[in-house]
Amino acid sequence: MARLPAPGSVIVPDWHETAEGKEYLACILRKNRRRVFGLLERPVLPPPVAIDTASYKIFVSGKSGVGKTALVAKLAGLEVPVVHHETTGIQTTVVFWPAKLQASDRVVMFRFEFWDCGESALKKFDHMLPACQEKTDAFLFLFSFTDRASFEDLPGQLARVAGEAPGVVRLVIGSKFDQYMHTDVPERDLTAFRQAWELPLLRVKSVPGRRLADGRTLDGRAGLADIAHVLNGLAEQLWHQDQVAAGLLPNPPEDPPS
Amino acid sequence: MFGQNLEVQLSSAKTEDTTVVWKSFHDSITLIVLSSEEGTSELRLERLLQMVFGAMVLLVGLEELTNIRNVERLKKELRASYRLIDSFLGDSELIGDLTQCVDCVVPPEGSLLQEALSGFAEAAGTAFVSLVVSGRVVAATESWWRLGMPEAVLLPWLVGSLPPQAARDYPVYLPHGSPTVPHRLLTLTLLPGLELCLLCGPRPPLSQLDAQLLERWWQPLLDPLRACLPLGSRALPAGFPLHTDILGLLLLHLELKRCLFTVEPSGDKEPSSEQRRRLFRSFYTLVTATHFAPEPGQPEEKAEEVVHRAQVPRACYLVLGAEEPGTGWRLVALQLGPRRLLLLLSAQSPTHGLRGLATHTLHALTPLL
Repeated sequence: MARLPAPGSVIVPDWHETAEGKEYLACILRKNRRRVFGLLERPVLPPPVAIDTASYKIFVSGKSGVGKTALVAKLAGLEVPVVHHETTGIQTTVVFWPAKLQASDRVVMFRFEFWDCGESALKKFDHMLPACQEKTDAFLFLFSFTDRASFEDLPGQLARVAGEAPGVVRLVIGSKFDQYMHTDVPERDLTAFRQAWELPLLRVKSVPGRRLADGRTLDGRAGLADIAHVLNGLAEQLWHQDQVAAGLLPNPPEDPPS
Repeated sequence: MFGQNLEVQLSSAKTEDTTVVWKSFHDSITLIVLSSEEGTSELRLERLLQMVFGAMVLLVGLEELTNIRNVERLKKELRASYRLIDSFLGDSELIGDLTQCVDCVVPPEGSLLQEALSGFAEAAGTAFVSLVVSGRVVAATESWWRLGMPEAVLLPWLVGSLPPQAARDYPVYLPHGSPTVPHRLLTLTLLPGLELCLLCGPRPPLSQLDAQLLERWWQPLLDPLRACLPLGSRALPAGFPLHTDILGLLLLHLELKRCLFTVEPSGDKEPSSEQRRRLFRSFYTLVTATHFAPEPGQPEEKAEEVVHRAQVPRACYLVLGAEEPGTGWRLVALQLGPRRLLLLLSAQSPTHGLRGLATHTLHALTPLL
């Protein structure tokens, strides 16, 4: 397994807050609202600029109710459903994210296609899990800080869902991190998990999205600031994995067991 | 319930301000609805129950509902249908739940879209494809149009009620066509609000409907597709000539089971869109239950009667809220053959001209539906 890139080593972190970054972000924002793109559309940059698009398929996995659909909605800048309705089948959401590479100073447009499926649908219908696993570039494993069982389920998820896919990025995300008063997953357990599995782990808060002055429309810019670290983290892992697969980076031998 | 023991069928009850209607399905599920809404009719509530049961079958399957092994598990599974059922209880812009005709819109460049749809259907390997904007059907393949009730109404309605997603692969059971064997409903959002819907068996997998396939068939039609986006509430192509007195129209083709519905004309005038929709629902119920009953295709009718009826246009009108002459909304209904047109007209519209106006409008709309 390739060594994980150090955070911020592949993608320039906080670049989206620089003047240059904000200019690029304008292609996915319009007046502080996140733009929604249909499948026939893509973000348009001003004419002289032409950047490459890197497309990735990401499967979001986790116990029912842990917040998969909500996380994807947050990443896409869409309304997070207030009431939990278990996802009926497979749903996909596309998120565009311009990011700057450290090595070449080049800006790349990342196109993330998140696949999300309800747990009972996965169990009931045979075709769904293979459809989600097929040609996936990354698995996102979600647990909730307020649901111990979802954290303990992670090894099982990892085996069941990503077991036979070496070379595919695996990332763990803990949601509802804001509810630290009720957390069922203390820091030491996270550390132990990290050491055992050597997987990148990110945390996301599950607070309601901020609104614009009208009180109704979601503030797209503020929303992006909340989850930029996830999109950057994902971009980083995926870009790094691509480089390794292309033979552009050395693949170090396995670490000796500690 | 008492009645059943005595072999009496009681289907509804009314108090001063509430109507209760119930219906039993497959000897297994009984649905009861109570309504205190002013002017609610039994017809509306009965059709509501049919839609609700249809929604339950759509998402859970008939087997689970008739062969209940674990009630708690069924209750959990039925939660998947709550959002759809809620949409029947609220003020929807669609009217197919009541009319049992699919809400449609008329696109500009319809034949272009139709051609692309057929080509895409073949490439995707399924006969059932449609283009849906805000829950209304813009264009569809022959096979899709032949879907039975209630799925013909439920599928676009479901798609219109879901939060936005780029693509979906949802298992659905067709209450009429396939209540126990699930099909896959695939949806692809071409443009925000405009979705391509496919009804498939095990193939094709969602991944096969990729960017390349979409680009090949739909990118060249980007402009006609964009032109469909405002059609949701308008239903008719921009510039379609409608008399200025018309505040709303509902055109039903009772054989094709499709309808056009809009309350957008002269939208800046009273009454509000919500009020107009309510007026149409009440008027439709009145017209259907009282004046124009029964609808064509009833098996009891003799052939001669049907022919006779088809040739004689029938009309009725209603003036609401007329405290003085020249005030009050006018509602007029006209039936000619399989087409039934309901119009809402402003208070200015002279009552003696209503039938003429309706006839003229119906003739103008006939080529569209």
